[in-house]
Amino acid sequence: MVEINRTIEELLVDYADALRDGSIPTFLKSLSREEGNSIACSDEFWEGTDIVRVLNGVGFADKAVLPNVSLFTSRVNAEIASRLKKSRGPLRRGGATRTKPVKETEETERAI
Amino acid sequence: MDKRLRKALKGLLDSELEHRQRAMESFVRLTFENFMRCLYRHLGNEVECEDVLENVYADIWEKSEYLAHIGDERELLRTVYMYYMRKRLRQVYRRLNRNLHLSQESLSMLVAPQISVLEMLSDEERGETVRRMLGKLKARERRAMELWMEGMSIRAIADELKTTVGAVKMLKYRTILKLKEQVKAMNIKVE
Repeated sequence: MVEINRTIEELLVDYADALRDGSIPTFLKSLSREEGNSIACSDEFWEGTDIVRVLNGVGFADKAVLPNVSLFTSRVNAEIASRLKKSRGPLRRGGATRTKPVKETEETERAI
Repeated sequence: MDKRLRKALKGLLDSELEHRQRAMESFVRLTFENFMRCLYRHLGNEVECEDVLENVYADIWEKSEYLAHIGDERELLRTVYMYYMRKRLRQVYRRLNRNLHLSQESLSMLVAPQISVLEMLSDEERGETVRRMLGKLKARERRAMELWMEGMSIRAIADELKTTVGAVKMLKYRTILKLKEQVKAMNIKVE
């Protein structure tokens, strides 16, 4: 995947291999500017990616090692609890950190 | 649709927090495997799938209304993919994009595309369809695809077929396009 300016055929084959091997970020990083442009313009590439995903699903999704669902459920619960906490927002104490308005400060200084 | 799944979906929209939490746990248990397999088709990596799915479930918790009128499991998967998974899939690679030579649109299409007709099928139906499609190919094309689906590298396939790496790449590319033509023909039939 370090070759420069691969043809669209090679790019599709490399994408298929990367998807199968779980190394999509490496594939994306390996793209040169010209390769990126040729991908963007190639209908054949985009049509091919559909099939590659389906083949990947049929060939390898069954072989994926699924984690323990109970452990995963507790991860989801923790994420939900964290979001609930965030949505309530931090508690603010009334004016403890509030900066005094400039006018008020000036008046106090004058009085001193 | 499975009775427990229907109940869990209903519970997700409940106004009482405790009911919703119980429904969410049940929903995760009932859908986890199916959702993982769907994400695996896009990411090809279990660890990444878990991270994305964790956020997908939390998003569903925050905004469950898209799941209000789900009729069957196929519709559920399509809705979850369209409204929750795609957004998260895009985020996975957005941070990478600063160093990439791809437009944002290309990247989105690569990591979170529209769902295809084949992806709408159940696992069994999809497996059967792919086997049928492979059966229509020439022996050499079918062999190359089968070896690839067994996990062999291009070089190993070239050795097996007694040809060059370049020839295998070309063969695989042409075969993928042939399979796409078959899917297109299927699409016409579906419509």
